[in-house]
Amino acid sequence: MDDLEESLQQNLLITSVDHVLNWARRSSLWPVTFGLACCAIEMIATFAPRYDISRFGAEVMRPSPRQADFMMVSGTVTWKMAPVVRRLYLQMAEPKWVISMGSCANIGGPFAYGYSVLPGVRLIIPVDVYVPGCPPRPESLLQGLMLLQQKIDRLSISGEREREEPSGDFSQYLPPDDPVRKELESLFPPYPRDERSPEPERLAG
Amino acid sequence: MYGLGIAKGLFATLRQLFRRPFTVQYPEEARQVPPRARTNLLWFDERCTGCSTCAQACPDGCILVVTSPREDGSLNKDRYEIDFRLCMFCGLCVEACPYEAIQSGGPFDDAVYVFDDMYRDKDALTRMAQVYLDSHDYTYPNGKNAPRPGELISLK
Repeated sequence: MDDLEESLQQNLLITSVDHVLNWARRSSLWPVTFGLACCAIEMIATFAPRYDISRFGAEVMRPSPRQADFMMVSGTVTWKMAPVVRRLYLQMAEPKWVISMGSCANIGGPFAYGYSVLPGVRLIIPVDVYVPGCPPRPESLLQGLMLLQQKIDRLSISGEREREEPSGDFSQYLPPDDPVRKELESLFPPYPRDERSPEPERLAG
Repeated sequence: MYGLGIAKGLFATLRQLFRRPFTVQYPEEARQVPPRARTNLLWFDERCTGCSTCAQACPDGCILVVTSPREDGSLNKDRYEIDFRLCMFCGLCVEACPYEAIQSGGPFDDAVYVFDDMYRDKDALTRMAQVYLDSHDYTYPNGKNAPRPGELISLK
């Protein structure tokens, strides 16, 4: 992949393709239909005509994560919800981005030291843009979206980028026999193989 | 008469068609917020005495104040930090502060790439306040006049 990247970077034609591709990527960001708490109300306000997120091309909420480009984690992620958020993120197609919206998604907010709330969504999925606020005003969310678009502008054609992947270590938050912890850890690499599915065959070449 | 209701309804739709759109074109123009809206917090170094009332009022414990006494009995602010990762913008610190040193009404463009950028220390807070005062003709968010560079502050 590195050799390919290097040879791609020297190609003038590819750089202009990069520009067009990034323009397409950043002007049609489709979010997952996904709202967890009160931040979602403010997110809905951002979609409404007063702020109108469709000016940035991000208004088409997709009902399936497989059709979506980015995810706005809007609100408190409880431990019970955490595996679902992680699974939705894994189901999205690359390239994919995440906006962490509000104090709860950032670090847990007022529940940061609580027993039931995930202290920061960055523990389960890599986050690109953090929007502080409780909840953030729609202007802040639009600002976060613009930051995300600036980030997408720096992408190369392959869509590869460096991301800080979460470690998947929940030992300091949950006891070892916790069912939520077991489910979360099964969503981090190395992924457990389903016993019922047949042995995967090696592809030729 | 048949169809009158439909005509009335369509007329209402038609009337909306010629109305001025009320979308706020955000990056170019910002919507006015009420003076006491709980937006981003601003901290004004020149008003703060370091009494830590804000830190006591904060339910999240996201304000850190470290002071040391001076010769004349006033307090030297060694550290003043607000953790905006944790802050829930409830405005209790604004209500608690007896000197109006911490006020809401800050900027909206506070989204960041790096997680720890949301932790603002004294320098970052002062910079934020200075940007606000420069762009608002040295008026605090509550409408009072701020001292211009070189002026002395009156706490009246």
